Amino acid sequence: MDENQARPGAPDPSREGEGARVRRDAEFARDALPYMDDVYRFAYSLTRNTADAEDLVQETFLRAYKSWHTFQPGSDARRWLFTICRNAFLRSREKLRHEVDVEDGSAETIAAVQSQSEMRRDGSDEILSRVDLAPALTRALDELPEPFRSTVILVDVEDQSYDSASEVLGVPVGTVRSRLFRGRRQLQDKLREYARDAGFASAGTSAREHDDA
Amino acid sequence: MPDQTHRTDCTSAMKELWDYVDCELTPDRMAAVKRHLTECSHCLPHAEFAERFLHALHETRIDCNCPYEVRAKVMARLREAGLTLS
Repeated sequence: MDENQARPGAPDPSREGEGARVRRDAEFARDALPYMDDVYRFAYSLTRNTADAEDLVQETFLRAYKSWHTFQPGSDARRWLFTICRNAFLRSREKLRHEVDVEDGSAETIAAVQSQSEMRRDGSDEILSRVDLAPALTRALDELPEPFRSTVILVDVEDQSYDSASEVLGVPVGTVRSRLFRGRRQLQDKLREYARDAGFASAGTSAREHDDA
Repeated sequence: MPDQTHRTDCTSAMKELWDYVDCELTPDRMAAVKRHLTECSHCLPHAEFAERFLHALHETRIDCNCPYEVRAKVMARLREAGLTLS
C-alpha cells in the first residue's frame, strides 16, 4: 500500500484524542522503529553514501510516521518502509519512475543461460569460487541503471520474494522478473569483464565454436 | 521419443531455472525441475552457476546497523513531528 493511501475507516490523525495519539505512537514504535537497521542498510544499498543514506532514513521514518494512520495493521511494516524508502530515493534523485516493458520472460531466461554457457566455456565462471567478488559486484551494482538496481538489491541482496519486490516497486511481478533477469545479466557481463582482466578467462574462446547446447 | 522428451525437459528446466533458484515456482514445478537437474548433466552446471552467482551477489549485503547518531537524529525529527515517546 502506498504510504499516502488511507486505509478504509482509518482515523483522521488531526481529529484524534490524546489517548488515540498515544496508542498510535506506541504502535509506530513497536511495529516500525525496530526496522531502522533494515531501512538504513537498504538506504545505503541504494545511495552508497552514508550522508545520503542518513537523509533517506530520516525522510523514510518521517513519512512513515505522518502516514502511519494509513498502515494496515498486521501487514508487513518492513516492506511498507522499503516502499517509502525507495520512493523517497527516487524523488531525491529527481528520477522519473519509468516502467520497463515486460518482455518475453522465456527468451530472457534462455539468453541468460547462453550467457552462462559462455562464461563456463571461457573459464571466467571460475572467478565465482576463487575470488571475493563482493567489491567488484558492489561496483557493478552501483553502475546498474535504476530500476534494475533496486530490483536486484531487493530480491538478491535483501531476500525479498518477487511478490514483495512487486509491492515495494509498485510494478507487476512479471516486471520484477524481467528487471531481475536483465539486471543479473548485466552483472554477469561486468563479472565476465572482471574475470578477463583478472586472467581467469581464456582469450579468444568462441562460445559458438564449442556450443554444446 | 526419449531424446525428444529429454530435450523438452531441458528447455523447460532452463526457462524456469532462475525461478527455480529463487524458489518462485509452484511446489510441483520445483520438484520437477529439481528432479531434472539431478538427472541431467547438461543442465546441472547451469543451476550450479546460478546458485554460485546468487550467493556471490548476496555476499555484497552490507552488514551494518543504523549508527547511533543517525538513530538519534531520526528520533529527534520524529519528536519534532509529534511523536510522544521518550
